[in-house]
Amino acid sequence: MTNNLARDAGEADTHNVEREGDPIGSDQGTVQNKLRAAGEPGLPRRPTLRPRRVSRAVLDASDAALARVLLAPTFLLLLLIVVYPVCRLLWTSLLDLRLAAGMPARFVGIDNYLSLGTDPEFWTALTNTLLITLITVPAALLAGLALALIANLPFRIQWPVRLSLLIPWAMPLAFVGMIGGWFFQSDYGVVNDLLRHVRPTRIIWFNSGWLSFIAICLTITWKTCSFVALVLLAGLQTIPNELYEAASVDGAGPLRRFFFVTLPLLRPAIAVAVIFRMITSLQTFDIPLTMTRGGPGTSTVTLAMYIHQNTVDFLDLGYGAALAVVLFFISMGVTTLYLRQVRSES
Amino acid sequence: MTRILRPLLLLAALCALPAHAETTLNVFISSALRPEVMRQAFDQFEQANPGIKVVAQLGGATSDLQAQYLNTVLSAKDSSLDVLMLDIIRPAQFAATGWTLPLNKDVGTPAAFLKQYLPAYAEADMVDGKLVALPAFADAMFLYYRKDLLDKYHLPVPQTWTQLAKDAATIQAGEHDPQLQGVSFQGAPIEGTVCTFLLPYWSMGKSLVHDGRLTFDHAAAIKALDLWTGLVRQGVAPRNVAEIVTDQTRKDFEAGKAIFAVEWGYGWSFFQSADSAVKGKVAVAELPAVDGGKQVTCIGGWQWGVSAFSRHPAEAVRLVKFLSSAPVSTLLADKASLLPVFPPLYHDPKLVQAMPWLPQALPAVEQAKSRPVTPYYNDVSNVIRTQTNAVLAGSETPEQAADQMEARLKRVLR
Repeated sequence: MTNNLARDAGEADTHNVEREGDPIGSDQGTVQNKLRAAGEPGLPRRPTLRPRRVSRAVLDASDAALARVLLAPTFLLLLLIVVYPVCRLLWTSLLDLRLAAGMPARFVGIDNYLSLGTDPEFWTALTNTLLITLITVPAALLAGLALALIANLPFRIQWPVRLSLLIPWAMPLAFVGMIGGWFFQSDYGVVNDLLRHVRPTRIIWFNSGWLSFIAICLTITWKTCSFVALVLLAGLQTIPNELYEAASVDGAGPLRRFFFVTLPLLRPAIAVAVIFRMITSLQTFDIPLTMTRGGPGTSTVTLAMYIHQNTVDFLDLGYGAALAVVLFFISMGVTTLYLRQVRSES
Repeated sequence: MTRILRPLLLLAALCALPAHAETTLNVFISSALRPEVMRQAFDQFEQANPGIKVVAQLGGATSDLQAQYLNTVLSAKDSSLDVLMLDIIRPAQFAATGWTLPLNKDVGTPAAFLKQYLPAYAEADMVDGKLVALPAFADAMFLYYRKDLLDKYHLPVPQTWTQLAKDAATIQAGEHDPQLQGVSFQGAPIEGTVCTFLLPYWSMGKSLVHDGRLTFDHAAAIKALDLWTGLVRQGVAPRNVAEIVTDQTRKDFEAGKAIFAVEWGYGWSFFQSADSAVKGKVAVAELPAVDGGKQVTCIGGWQWGVSAFSRHPAEAVRLVKFLSSAPVSTLLADKASLLPVFPPLYHDPKLVQAMPWLPQALPAVEQAKSRPVTPYYNDVSNVIRTQTNAVLAGSETPEQAADQMEARLKRVLR
């Protein structure tokens, strides 16, 4: 359903642009294309169309006008909330705009992008962001799959399981980060209290770049696996029971049933969960900010945190915009993956 | 008689209401700087100025969080705040951006008017000939120490960090308490950590920024960082110092878990409160020097500014002038142990009774040094605090951090 909607919107947009470019003349063709594209049943073919050309043209014109009127608000809204900010961002990234100095903006071309290359903190932030994505997405997928399978078991009382799945998902990210910070605190943290039984000397998690990084990844995985579990649980419930019964009749054990029935049928749900997780994990911000503030030093700074720091703390909007453009294109890449996936399914 | 009077009074009150609730001034203050005491000052102003209502808008607990909020609100030219409480490190940026109204013409001759305040504030609030804000209260970093423990081991107050480390080690060895820290200072990536770096750096007689130009001394920076890591290595400072924020130092010292603490003036009223474990056992001194250096401290303190986007600038200016007056300064010192901005108040008998160390604080506050004055202070601060934090966490060596600091500060002050 969503897929169809998305595709329709895409088609409508293309036609909008087409009409803008050539306002008169191609009305008939456009409508025909549209109808063909939409797969309208009972669409009259070209030969049958020809005799009624005049009346059709009149109708077409009003059709097109109507479509234009109906699409205009969406188009304007998209212009306002997507096209304008993105263009503004691209423009700002070409300026030396540092509000803290109160100086007027100065056009500097690609200078901001050039200084990215020599800015070690940018590379740290970029690497951290990609590493967080590479580590927490598969981890959350595995943990989420396990949780979804447990939640899908025929419990007599369903709500406690479902509720425990919902709670981490419903919690604000900043809270989770603060909770994570307390968990891993060296003096009074729960983690060190548990480890005390295994290891006599306490670990100071936030004194080391990679231990902080592990603590952050664990917290993100905990927070996000419930989202994955919810998506997968929805997928699991669409798998008809007959398939399992048939597989059992054919002599398949639980492992084979999982690998040959559950997993293949769950594939679309997994794809959706993974891509959604990837996009949000590329934008990781709240949890590291509240857990470590990017420390020790700059070892756990993410790209989103670095953008925020440059724009909000330093008011260096030009450089911040250049950083945001980088993140924008990375996110675009993943979104394209998602759209391709959705298209191949339908 | 009352039968007639009461309805009349009620009627009068009803008539007066719309006229009197005309102007509301929104004042942005920190949630950590005793809003309940600030409220008393606002109440006094409301009584003296019928028709003006003062509403406190509580901002984040730390200077960094408040700056983030103000940056967002004021760069959007939002008029929802009328009066702003600003950390001493902000006026340069606010002067450059024009986010506060210059108060020059509201105080007669600024130079003469500012003479009544401590020189550091008169200097900080006057940027490029513009009077950006007026002083609210003073602050500086001090050395808090456990008088009872120093007396027990017959130790004088240390004048140098080396002496402090030795004294702390003696007491730690004598007390046999693994929980007892020698000295608590700030190492988390927060504003206070900028002062942590600057204290020994300044003590060597070096400066960081002069007239907007970088005057970074590489060797002194390494020595400054070495001093702190040395204290951690000797076991005098806790190993998790990279986690310690300003209020954690306050809590640890208040719980009796530290012999010495590097802390701002606000700590005093906490340490002397009823539920403090160290009540009556605390004293305050000037911060120690590096060997062969001079004793310096980092100046703090807060200012009142009028937002340039306020819809009631005249009333807001009146409020700011009231808030930066001697009676309010006395109130803040008396009720919240926030240091006065008027030198004579340091010898006020009533205040000295509440804060016996007040006369000693005056020379420290008078000689305290300001953090770099530049509109790009946020960038400068970030570079220093993240690098200092990295060194204290042990993820960078002092040499690496000094290299990084120099390279990044050059870019910021380009």
